[in-house]
Amino acid sequence: MTLIQRLRSIPVSYRVPLMVALLMVVISAVISVRVLDRLSRTQESFLDGLAETYLDGLSSAVVPAVLREDVWEVYDTLDRSSSSYKALAPIETIVTGTNRKVLAASDPGRIPAYSDLPSGYLARYSVKNVTIDTAKLLGFSRRDLTYQGQLIGTIHATFDVSHLFAERREILVTLLITNGVLAILFSLGGFLLVRQMIGPMRVLENHMRKATNGTVEPIAAHEFPKGDSEVTGLFEGYNALVHAERERANFAMQLAEEEKLSSLGRLASGMAHEINNPLGGLFNALDTLKKHGSTPGVSDISINLIERGLAGIRDVVGAALATYRPERSQRPMIEDDLGDVQLLLRPELRRKRQTLDWEVSWNGTDVLPIKGGPVRQAVLNLMLNASAVTPEGGAVSLKAVASAEVLTISIADEGPGMPSTISGILVDQDPGPAVRAGRGLGLWMVRRVVDELGGMAKIGQNSKGGTVVTLVLPFERENVGANAA
Amino acid sequence: MSRKLTYGPSFANGVTRRDFTGGIAASIVTIGLPTQSNAEPTPFKFGLTPVFLSNDLELLGHLRTYLASKLDGPVELVTRRTYQEITALLVSGQIQSAWICGFPYVQFKNELDLVATPIWQGKPLYQSYLIAKNDREIADWKGLKGDIHAFSDPDSNSGFLVTRALLAENRLRPDNFFSRSFFTYGHRNIIRAVASELAQSGSVDGYVYEVMRETEPDLIAQTKIIRKSEWLGFPPIASPKSLAFDPRVQALKQALVTMKNDTEGRKVLDLLRLDGFVVTDPTLFDTIAAKVEIVRQFG
Repeated sequence: MTLIQRLRSIPVSYRVPLMVALLMVVISAVISVRVLDRLSRTQESFLDGLAETYLDGLSSAVVPAVLREDVWEVYDTLDRSSSSYKALAPIETIVTGTNRKVLAASDPGRIPAYSDLPSGYLARYSVKNVTIDTAKLLGFSRRDLTYQGQLIGTIHATFDVSHLFAERREILVTLLITNGVLAILFSLGGFLLVRQMIGPMRVLENHMRKATNGTVEPIAAHEFPKGDSEVTGLFEGYNALVHAERERANFAMQLAEEEKLSSLGRLASGMAHEINNPLGGLFNALDTLKKHGSTPGVSDISINLIERGLAGIRDVVGAALATYRPERSQRPMIEDDLGDVQLLLRPELRRKRQTLDWEVSWNGTDVLPIKGGPVRQAVLNLMLNASAVTPEGGAVSLKAVASAEVLTISIADEGPGMPSTISGILVDQDPGPAVRAGRGLGLWMVRRVVDELGGMAKIGQNSKGGTVVTLVLPFERENVGANAA
Repeated sequence: MSRKLTYGPSFANGVTRRDFTGGIAASIVTIGLPTQSNAEPTPFKFGLTPVFLSNDLELLGHLRTYLASKLDGPVELVTRRTYQEITALLVSGQIQSAWICGFPYVQFKNELDLVATPIWQGKPLYQSYLIAKNDREIADWKGLKGDIHAFSDPDSNSGFLVTRALLAENRLRPDNFFSRSFFTYGHRNIIRAVASELAQSGSVDGYVYEVMRETEPDLIAQTKIIRKSEWLGFPPIASPKSLAFDPRVQALKQALVTMKNDTEGRKVLDLLRLDGFVVTDPTLFDTIAAKVEIVRQFG
C-alpha cells in the first residue's frame, strides 16, 4: 500500500487535521529557516560592526606604542579596552610587530611578549571581517596597523560568540514551541471543524447504510442541523426519496396483491368451470340413480360416473392447494408439479380453445434438486401469460429438459411478441426501471423466483411467431451429486 | 654640570622618545587651577613624578588645596609620564618645585636643593624590591636570569638604578642578564605586569608595594618579593638652587613639614600612607649616589 493509499484509508476527520499539522510543520520549518538565516546575517553584520569599532579604537590607541615597541603601553591599552567592549566579549587580543613577534597579548601568560605568533593564528582569518568558528563558538578578526602608509604591526582579536549561538538556539526553541503549539491548535481546530462539517454526512451515511440492509428510515427532525440550509435541503431530499420509495414499495405490493388476486380469480373461475362441468353429469347420474337405480347395471354406471366426476373435482382442488400452500414450496421438485400446472391451466386453454404442446424430459429421475414450489409458480405465471397473449384457437407449448446440472424450461406462445419495456423485467441486469413502470408484475414474480434460484431467463423468437421464454435453473449444488447418482 | 637625561632605548625608524613626548605631553593631564587672567598672580608650579601610587585625583585635589592655602596663592600641579620630563622642567626652572626620585636628585645635586623628604614608617627611607610571580620557585635574585624584566623608569632609583647597580656589582648588565626588559613608567604598572605575566619579574618601589598590599591585596597576592634592597633615601621634594630664596619655596618647605598638623594635610598624608615630611641632609642620598657610581664604573 503506497503512502497516498494509506493516507486515503484514514478517515477524513483525522486526515484533514493530520494534513493541517503536516502543513504547519512544513510552514514552520520554512519560517524557522528563514528567520534563523536572517538572524544569522543580522548577527554577523552586528558582530562585524562591533569588531570594526573595537579594532578602530584599539588601533588608534596602540599605533604610537607599537611604533615605540612599548610592550607595557600596548598591554595596558589591551587591558583597559577589554572592559570597554563587553558587548563584543573579546577574549584574546594580540598585537604583533612587523616581524610577527608578539608585542603584547591580553593574556601574556598564554602568549608571552616577544614570542613568535603561533602559526595557527594566521590561518584563522578569512577575507570577511569576522571569521566564525562554529565548533569552538569563537570569532576571529585581524587588523593591520599602518603609519604613514607603512605596515607597523597587526592586531589579532578573538571574540566569544557563544551568546550569538545561544540567541539563535533560544529563537529556534521559541519558534519550535510557538509553531508546535500553533500546529496542535490548528490540528485540533481542523479536527473539530471537519467533524462538525461532516457530522450531517455521517447521519446520511448511517441512514443509507441501513437502507442497503433493507431498513429505509427517514432522518429524524432532531438530527437536522440548525442553520445549515444546504444540509437541511439534502436531508429533506433524502427524506423525500425515502417516502417516495416507501410509496412505490407499497404501490408495488398493492399491485402484486391485485395481480395475485387477479390470477387467483382466473384460476378460481377456471376451477369453478372445471368443477361445474362434471357437476351436470353428476346431477344427471344422481337423477338416473333416483329413477332407474333399481335397474341392474344403471346403478353401477351412475356410481362410476359420479366417482369419476368427484375424482376430477378432487384433482383440481388438490392442485390448487399444492400451489398455494407455502409450506409445500420448499420441497424438491417432482414431475407432478408440472402436471399440476397443466391441470390448473386446462380451464383457461379450454375457454380459449387453445392447444397445449407439452414435452417433459426428466432424464430418468423422479425428483430434481431444486425447489418445486417457486418453479411451479413461475411456470404457471408464464403459461398463463402465454395463454393470455395467444389468440383463440392458437397453441402454447412447454418444454422442460433436466440435464445433469440445470433444468431448462421453455414456454412458447403465438402472441404479438413481448415489448422490450416488459421483457426487461426478466432479462435486464437491473429490473428496477421496468418494474417501476408498474407493468408486468407477473413477470416480476418470475424474475424474483429466477434470481432466488440463481438462474437466468432468456427471451427468444418463436418460429411460429410469438415469444419463447426460456428459464435456465441450476440445481442446488449439494444435491447435484446425489441427483446424478 | 650637564647630564644626559635620556636612558630609554631608541625607537624604530630612528624616532626618538623626545619626538613622541611632544605629542604625548599634549595628551597628559595637567591638573591645575582654571585659566588665569593676567591680573592674577602666577601659580606656583609643583611637579609630581609617578613616584607615588597613581594619579589619584582625590589625592591631587587635597594636595592642591592644602598647598594653595599654605602658599597663599594658586598652585598648579604638573604631572608627566616620565621622571625625565619632570626633572627637565625642574632643572630648567620651568616649575618651582617637584617631588622627584632620589636618583635624579643625586644626578642634579648641584642644581637642586632638598626641600623636604617624606617619612614612611617613621623614617625617611624606603627599599627597592625585586618581585616575581608568586608561583615561581626562586632561591634568590640570580634565579631571575633570562626573565623578561619590567623596570619602572630609567630615572627611577628603586625601579631601575638599584637593580642595575646590583647587576653591575656582579659584573652583569640588564641586557645580558635578562632576556628582555621594558619600562612601565609607574610602580603600580610593574606589579600589574608581573601579575599578568607580561613580565616575569620586576623592579619596584618597596613603599608602593607595601601600600598596595593594603589597597590592592588581590593584585599583590599574585606576586612575591625575591629581594629587598638596603634602606635608601625616600624620594624627596626638591627645588632649583636658583629659587633658594624664593619665599614660596620656603613656604612650601614649611607647609610640608607641618602637614601632619593640618586637617587637609592629614588627608594627604593618610592617602599617601606617610607619617609626614622632614628636612633632611643631602647625605641621606649618598647611598644612591654610590649606586650611580657603581653603575658608572661597571656599566
